[in-house]
Amino acid sequence: MKNLLAMEVGKVLRLASVRFAAVLLVAFPILWAYAPGIFKVYGFYLVSAFQVPALGLLSSMQFLLPLLTAIAAAELLGTEIANGTLPTVLLRPVSRSQWLLSKLLVVSALPFAMLTVFLVVSLVAGAPYGYGSFVGGTGLGQAGLLGQGTMTVAHALREVLGAYLIAAYSLVPIALLAVLFTVVFMNAAGGALATLSVLIFMQLLVVFPGIEPYLLTTQLNAYAKPVANLGWVAALIAFYSAAFAAVAVVLFERKDF
Amino acid sequence: MPTPAIEVDHLSKRYGARPIVRDLSFTVNAGEVYALVGPNGAGKTTVIRLVSGLAFPSAGRVRMLGVDPHQDPSVRRRLGAVVEAPAAFYPYLTGRGNLRLHGRLAGGVDDDRIDEVLDMMELGNAAERKVGVYSLGMRQRLGVAAAMLMRPEVLILDEPASGMDPLSLHLVHSVLRDAAASGTAVLLSTHHLDEVVAYCTRVAILEEGALIDEVNLLDRRERFRVWVGEAHRAKALLDTQPWIRHAAVRGEEVVFIPSQSDAVGRVSAVLAEADIELYELTRDIFDLRGYYRERVSNERVRRSGVRGSRVESARAVEPPPEAPGGPEETP
Repeated sequence: MKNLLAMEVGKVLRLASVRFAAVLLVAFPILWAYAPGIFKVYGFYLVSAFQVPALGLLSSMQFLLPLLTAIAAAELLGTEIANGTLPTVLLRPVSRSQWLLSKLLVVSALPFAMLTVFLVVSLVAGAPYGYGSFVGGTGLGQAGLLGQGTMTVAHALREVLGAYLIAAYSLVPIALLAVLFTVVFMNAAGGALATLSVLIFMQLLVVFPGIEPYLLTTQLNAYAKPVANLGWVAALIAFYSAAFAAVAVVLFERKDF
Repeated sequence: MPTPAIEVDHLSKRYGARPIVRDLSFTVNAGEVYALVGPNGAGKTTVIRLVSGLAFPSAGRVRMLGVDPHQDPSVRRRLGAVVEAPAAFYPYLTGRGNLRLHGRLAGGVDDDRIDEVLDMMELGNAAERKVGVYSLGMRQRLGVAAAMLMRPEVLILDEPASGMDPLSLHLVHSVLRDAAASGTAVLLSTHHLDEVVAYCTRVAILEEGALIDEVNLLDRRERFRVWVGEAHRAKALLDTQPWIRHAAVRGEEVVFIPSQSDAVGRVSAVLAEADIELYELTRDIFDLRGYYRERVSNERVRRSGVRGSRVESARAVEPPPEAPGGPEETP
């Protein structure tokens, strides 16, 4: 398993979609930190480097980050299918479930890696605004961007790290769903597009208020506004993740190649 | 009796309502090179994938070294296979890097063995080049190298000669022949009937997913014919010789299979002693191409006859005419 994981990490770093995502994740915070229309859109002026990470999440958690996650996750399996290396690997004495599990683990780590890059670049891009205590909020805590008086560096860091951790965690089921759909459609584009379709469909389901708190797409806001306590949200995301991973493994086990 | 290396028992595969493989049974023993031939769409690749455990049978079973490869994937430690044409590798890794990765997946292999198989397939000079820049033939050779990496007991190859130049083809033949000689069971699918005659032990002819004939090429290759004055007396005489495995009359000739290497030389002496005139003694070259063509076209005629009679539906279906045997009598 250790060997498989190491191999999958090597493969993921070579994916075109991951490199493309890396470029976007670097460019995005730099552009947003100095965008002239920030006040018009968000109604505030940046006063601290700790507010830049919030801009990133607020602007990208509903579409860009799920899209990048889905494409990269689907491509990790999809390229093996397109290159024909999938049968080659499966002919070696490795169980199918073990092999897919290593891919699922790697794609689960992908949102954490992506948001780490996003966060670091955001903080660096915000350097001109300073890293000291400031009056206002990070945009990622209860008090929003306006805050409640002076925010210390430690408090700001805690809020930013916590929000990014929750955001990354809420993207994990999306990565796993993309792998599941790639197993079904046997190509990366099909996997990524089916995932996006499901996410868009879920977002439309808000017309049923009873199920809204349970929707995967609702949890994409958990970093700022969790629908319930974080433990419940974490359990729901874990349930989605486990279900998608389990179905992917079961289908993959019985697939003809 | 030793367990066959590959045992295919009443294997069927259908996708939806469409049968791809129909009730196929054959075995491949250690040291044999067994070829699957047939027209495009005959089901060769599906059989290869079913046997190697990449696809699941709809009915029947496959055993590799006595084990179901789906139940026990560890049996693949003893398998070498190339099921893609051209063989598929990670294009961003070098030839050596790809083999190292294969070795790691198979439980580990030392660098000396990697060098050995690269040299064996004449890829030593290209070992450090990325596979993305390899030619089709080089990929195919790397595929054979990867298959040979773990010294497999079973080798399964789908179209190993595809895209190869004559020299590479010769190289692959000799590697497969050597592997079989050292006890490896080889199953391959191919369209190259000449390579089949050159070194395969048995050949299965597939048509529309069904096995329509299996020919023992070992017998065919080692067959000789003598044109004699009295064919029946000559056959009776050869039948009594312990160094003749089998003899049969074919017109004015007697076709025989020797059981010892010096048998051919002894035939003329025995016939001369019995005053049987001998006009010619030659190796009987088996025309697989002609035989294959005839078997497949006969099968098609038979099937179309069956289908035609089904269309007539009201009448009872006549039993299909028996496909005539090959162009020659099997001794």
